[in-house]
Amino acid sequence: MNNEAKTNVKPLLEVKNLTKYFPAKGGKEVHAVDGVSFTIEKGETLGIVGESGCGKSSMGRTILKVHEPTGGRIIFDGEDITDFNHRKMMPYRKRMQMIFQDPYASLNPRFTVGDIIEEPMIIHKMGTPKERKAIVQDLIETVGLKPDHIRRYPFEFSGGQRQRIGIARTLALKPEFIVCDEPISALDVSIQAQVINLLEKLQRERGFSYLFIAHDLEMVYHISHKIGVMYLGNMVEFGTSDDVYKRPLHPYTRALISAAPVADPKQAKEKKRIILQGEVPSPLDPPPGCPFSGRCPYATEKCKIKKPDTYEYDGRKVACYIYAPENVKQYSDAGKTPEEAVFLK
Amino acid sequence: MSLLEIRGLTTEFKTEQGIVKAIRGIDYTVDKGEVLGIVGESGSGKSVGMLSLMGLLASNGRVTDGTITFDGEDLTPSNLDTKKKKKQYEEKMRKIRGNDISMIFQDPMSYLNPIVTIEKQMTEGILYHTKCSKKEARQKAIELMKKVGIPAPESRLKQYPFEFSGGMRQRIIIAIALACNPKLIIADEPTTALDVTVQAQILDLLKDITKDTDAGVIIITHDLGVVASLCDRISIMYGGNIMEEGTSDEIFYEPKHPYTKGLLASIANSSADKREELKPIPGTPPDLLKLENECPFAARCSEAMEICTKYNPLVTEFSPTHRCKCWLHCRDRYKEVVKGDEADE
Repeated sequence: MNNEAKTNVKPLLEVKNLTKYFPAKGGKEVHAVDGVSFTIEKGETLGIVGESGCGKSSMGRTILKVHEPTGGRIIFDGEDITDFNHRKMMPYRKRMQMIFQDPYASLNPRFTVGDIIEEPMIIHKMGTPKERKAIVQDLIETVGLKPDHIRRYPFEFSGGQRQRIGIARTLALKPEFIVCDEPISALDVSIQAQVINLLEKLQRERGFSYLFIAHDLEMVYHISHKIGVMYLGNMVEFGTSDDVYKRPLHPYTRALISAAPVADPKQAKEKKRIILQGEVPSPLDPPPGCPFSGRCPYATEKCKIKKPDTYEYDGRKVACYIYAPENVKQYSDAGKTPEEAVFLK
Repeated sequence: MSLLEIRGLTTEFKTEQGIVKAIRGIDYTVDKGEVLGIVGESGSGKSVGMLSLMGLLASNGRVTDGTITFDGEDLTPSNLDTKKKKKQYEEKMRKIRGNDISMIFQDPMSYLNPIVTIEKQMTEGILYHTKCSKKEARQKAIELMKKVGIPAPESRLKQYPFEFSGGMRQRIIIAIALACNPKLIIADEPTTALDVTVQAQILDLLKDITKDTDAGVIIITHDLGVVASLCDRISIMYGGNIMEEGTSDEIFYEPKHPYTKGLLASIANSSADKREELKPIPGTPPDLLKLENECPFAARCSEAMEICTKYNPLVTEFSPTHRCKCWLHCRDRYKEVVKGDEADE
């Protein structure tokens, strides 16, 4: 892709060391997002994968300031919006939008489809009623619904059609950045591809940037330019989707990708699956060291005591001691890459 | 003779809007030690078929046609017109449920009773179906928990469901299903509620169990990835019909039905070129209230002919295991269905 042209341009969104803790009973805190950093360029899709409770949705919402961040910085189009209050946020809300997971809960059942799509424009005082009606008319067709659907109510639509209504509502504000929080997981298999193709088409035509949150790894690989892998509030690996998917570096990413079921009997038989022991620990009291150390087959004493930094390795960011510069050097002195030294032992 | 044989099963539900034919004459056979996968989208009737077999239909549901033979015994729940017949059927099923046939449900959170200890829930079925003391039942429960990989079973027996994680609860449910050495195990979306890495653990466990026991297994799912790695044979359902059935190789590598082909093309596959656009199936699943005798897929099928919109297709056999219900493959046999003047067209 045209990465060369972009190198001097500011990223559309920059997230630095973002944390979000939720208060819990007994003075404890849920460490939902625990120091995450990444950037998204214009027209780019960043896929976020991870298991339930890893903080991927909390992160998406914190970036949009639906939740107030506990720490770190959110920089959108060169402007630090971390401490913006409600009023200052208003123009940014227009530019940063969200598509929700549940197309049943995210549409007001008492509004007609036309009202639903028009509402955000009324809130942001855009256009005259006549202009707004024309925009609604236009959007309905853009997302593949019929003009006479405008006067109908959400209950008359299937899941996939509702998701299209939700997308039309998002588009009404002409956003630049959209958080898609599990937009297809509530849909039937034959409908998922329709919605994915629509999102891709809109990106091509309008240059949207997406933060695409999902747990279907194959879909995330398909739609994303870059992938971030989250585990217990931490981003353990970040790189281009081909790199992360075809040659995962972090032990957790390796296990996650190997465990994903493939819809192909021959591949499924040949695939070497890494079956992890145990389950994700509670974010109420995360382990003191590396969040993954309790389940990691390669964990050392050090991993259990001190959380690793995020290291740059091979054009990627990995939070694992295996890729710490001193270790990489040690391995290369022995004539091996870290992967050969650790995983193929 | 097959362990389970279902012939022409038809189930209807009475609703306020009218009669919904949820399944329309389906045939299944399952042999001992065989794993059959039933794949379908929501509303395709994949669960209703199994609920009809177990006699667990909601009160507005009724089996109107077909026969069910299990292990040489007739379990057909039709013609239950008198109270006496109903009672006899209920008694017969009570002896079979959880004993000869057991079920594993989708949601491990809501299947277990939250205010009853694991011990009581695990031994309940054993005490009901076998002559043994509480102590023996307890011993059996401990053995089962070891078998499904729950550490420290003695102490965990005294705990309540909320003290178990999602994956552990699903293991408990599998243990309960295995308690009385069933001849047939029906797993309805056994891994849908679980995370990828935990899903891999449970699928491995199911695989081991099917190898160890001689039981027949039916897995109901919407996830083609799950059936690819687990099933000997696969049955594709749509709109209450079995559209295609075959070995997993036949379904994945030589699909005959346009719906099966569409389904396989619409899922993202990491081995394909990722920049290749997904090919969704246009349209939405049929409204079962409005569906008449036509092929349920006709409205979305790119190869639909006139006959498809009027008559349900006949079954064509491609091999002893591979059959498909589509007019494309049985055009020349239309006279078996179309009578009189219409046949001349």
